[in-house]
Amino acid sequence: MLLLPRSGAFLYAAASPALACVNPLCVDNAVATPMEGNANLAGFRILDCTEESGYLAGKLLAELGAEVIKVEPPSGDPGRYRPPFIGANPNPELSVPWLALNTSKRSVTLDLASAADRELFLALVATADAVLETAGANATLGPLAHGIDEAMLRAANPNIAICRLSPFGLHGPYASRRGSDLTVLALGGNLYPTGNPDRAPVRCALPVSHFHGGLELAVATVFALWSRSVHGVAQTVDVSLQECLTIPNMTTPTQYPFTGFKGRRVGGGFRGAKAFFRELWPCKDGWISFALRGGPARNPGIQALVDYMRECGVADPALDRDWLQYNHNTVSQEEVDAIEAALGAFFRTKTMEELFRVACERNLLLAPALSAREIVRSRQLAAREFFVDLEDRGRGLILRYPAAFARTSLGPARVRAPAPRLGEHNQLILEPLRKGKLRGKAEEQA
Amino acid sequence: MIEGLFRNLRVLEFGGGAAGPLATRYFADHGATVVRVESRVRPDFIRLLRYTPGDPAGLDGSHMFAMVNVNKLGIALDMSHPRSREVALRLVDWCDVLAENFAPGTMSKWGLDYEALSKRKPGLIMVSTCLNGQTGPERQYPGFGGQGSALAGFNHLTGWPDREPLGPYGTITDSLSPRFVALLVASALIARNRSGKGQYIDLSQVEAGIVCLSENILTYTATGEVLERSGNRSRYAAPHGVFRCAPEGDDDDRWIAIVVHDDADWAKLRTLMGNPAWAREDKFSTTQGRLTHVEELEEKLEAWTRTQRAAELAERCVAVGLDAAVVWNFAELLEDPQLAFRGHFRAVHHPVIGNHLYEINAMRFSAAKETVSRPAPRLGEHTEYVCRELLGMQPQEYRDLLEAGVFR
Repeated sequence: MLLLPRSGAFLYAAASPALACVNPLCVDNAVATPMEGNANLAGFRILDCTEESGYLAGKLLAELGAEVIKVEPPSGDPGRYRPPFIGANPNPELSVPWLALNTSKRSVTLDLASAADRELFLALVATADAVLETAGANATLGPLAHGIDEAMLRAANPNIAICRLSPFGLHGPYASRRGSDLTVLALGGNLYPTGNPDRAPVRCALPVSHFHGGLELAVATVFALWSRSVHGVAQTVDVSLQECLTIPNMTTPTQYPFTGFKGRRVGGGFRGAKAFFRELWPCKDGWISFALRGGPARNPGIQALVDYMRECGVADPALDRDWLQYNHNTVSQEEVDAIEAALGAFFRTKTMEELFRVACERNLLLAPALSAREIVRSRQLAAREFFVDLEDRGRGLILRYPAAFARTSLGPARVRAPAPRLGEHNQLILEPLRKGKLRGKAEEQA
Repeated sequence: MIEGLFRNLRVLEFGGGAAGPLATRYFADHGATVVRVESRVRPDFIRLLRYTPGDPAGLDGSHMFAMVNVNKLGIALDMSHPRSREVALRLVDWCDVLAENFAPGTMSKWGLDYEALSKRKPGLIMVSTCLNGQTGPERQYPGFGGQGSALAGFNHLTGWPDREPLGPYGTITDSLSPRFVALLVASALIARNRSGKGQYIDLSQVEAGIVCLSENILTYTATGEVLERSGNRSRYAAPHGVFRCAPEGDDDDRWIAIVVHDDADWAKLRTLMGNPAWAREDKFSTTQGRLTHVEELEEKLEAWTRTQRAAELAERCVAVGLDAAVVWNFAELLEDPQLAFRGHFRAVHHPVIGNHLYEINAMRFSAAKETVSRPAPRLGEHTEYVCRELLGMQPQEYRDLLEAGVFR
């Protein structure tokens, strides 16, 4: 796969959009060439039958070197129909959410409702190390949604790791409930304390529960592969999205028996023992995150900010204190209000970038709340070659992606290929199975 | 049943906070021996979160510390002491995996960077996780989770369009990055079993967060649109929101989350509401129509939900097959029947704190159980055990180091 240097323009116009490209020569350039980067999972074949909540799992496993094959119905994964699309018209090959989280995978189409394709699917299972699926009441894609249960998968391949992600887990009182990002967040406890006190609990515009869930599914899969190779035991793993969402509450719920604190929305801030601390502040051109809290580790940063403000000519008596002895657990709300008034007035005179430059130079615990526009301009990410322009020949596009989720001494764990087109690897992957089956039948008859 | 998927694995952990400790928990919960290196000279900051001078519980009274460090052993080692390095190197010789989440440069200052250690031990797997990664002009930027959330884009995308950005509660990069670390370390262990080679892993918590938010980046780079905060609304579905319910006693903070995915769902919800005239209006009959008139739709829906008790209404919605849920507060979360069924919250006795709950991760294996728990270590609790039993120090050697002030 051709990697192009970063340039000013992000999206290069398609010279000739070849969305229906079936030329076997343009198929699968990336995975056929020796893989660059970390290949911890090279040699593993993983079938990815997940819907949206599980996409991230297969992506990360593929970017660690596994061969990840997205198994889609002939009409395509439902996620291919999610807006926004690249270009003016809805096009299942150009859905941004789908393209974003299915990089480095292959795609085959199989109709699991048809007997012939089920047979082919089970032949594919026989060649694989793990199968990932989203399950539960929502599921429409995976083997379980088509009545292909654990016993059938194990009959096809006794050594297969079966890794399932569902909203609430496959058993228990909620097992048959539907669940999506918003409702899983609600029952995982992470929604209630997120938001402004005078409004409803609120979520992130993108589905945070899917990120936790996809990641947890990836961890579960590698643990299951470990179990197979070290203990010789093929496992079935049951991952619950709801359960994934409790850890991000950072132990506050489990502290409830001691604190009696059931959570509270405080806007962009933090409620301490005696006072409320603002955490998100308007500046000249956006918002920055800064908190007048923390233990001794944070105090030098507060001191450094106050020093900087003095250099800029701010002289407010509220700022005159021994910051290295500052303890947010003992300070009163009146004191906090006075300090914050001075800080707030100062931040409004500076841009996000100005403040962040100073933060980096002087170790201030202050950060801009960046949008995508600013993130792609980051000098830190540029220095780490974090973004990559990936040529997507099949679609006639060059796309700029976040490339590597980690760097390692064996190379980055990085995007290897754009998301596959629907059925792009049917020929490559399914044909040998079809031929094998025909050969098997011929041998039976002989 | 396998007694501990990682029962022979030895993990050495430097660092603190939540992101590092939550990562090694994955292995500790599955049987690995995890030794945390700490020091009362510079205590882990979460031991100090609620600490006030004079607190009799001292550095062992932090609930958060206790809850994220169960199943581990702790050694007190003052890394500023000239003889600490010899103990640290013996710990490195002992371990398979070294995990650290200090600011870049801290480990190399002690001569414990991967370059030095891998010469001594080529099979070592070492993982460093900090906010911005180990290289680049902003590598030393000293952020905590709050800053990670801001730099990765989560704040910008969370909240209301007309209000300040918010973070998902609980510093999200601190809870995403442990999952990344567990994934990377487990895959490195598989690779080491095949090749005998170790590796170094540099995980930037900000980068990991941005990879999760790939849609945020690709929307901008491929279409030019900058994604913004959008409350609870969706591009695909309406109603898609959180609606106020009737007060219960003095608690007026009761909510229900309702997601109507398609027109069939809408018909179910309409029936549940008793088919009011407004809901029968044509403009609400299709997803597109509901999206177009979403403000009015939400207002009218909430006028109805305000008359209902949240949990009861959620049950009624679920009973007819709708995607809806009561919004649990933390107290209710601990009583959730599904989490109880899965054994999510487990009790352990801590000698200073008493009985407390901790959480296990979200995966259940058909043939392996999470291991029997031990409470989080008190500072230095296992220093002698680790030195004598795990490192094989002779009594005199241990006493010498103790008297020299290495174990503080």
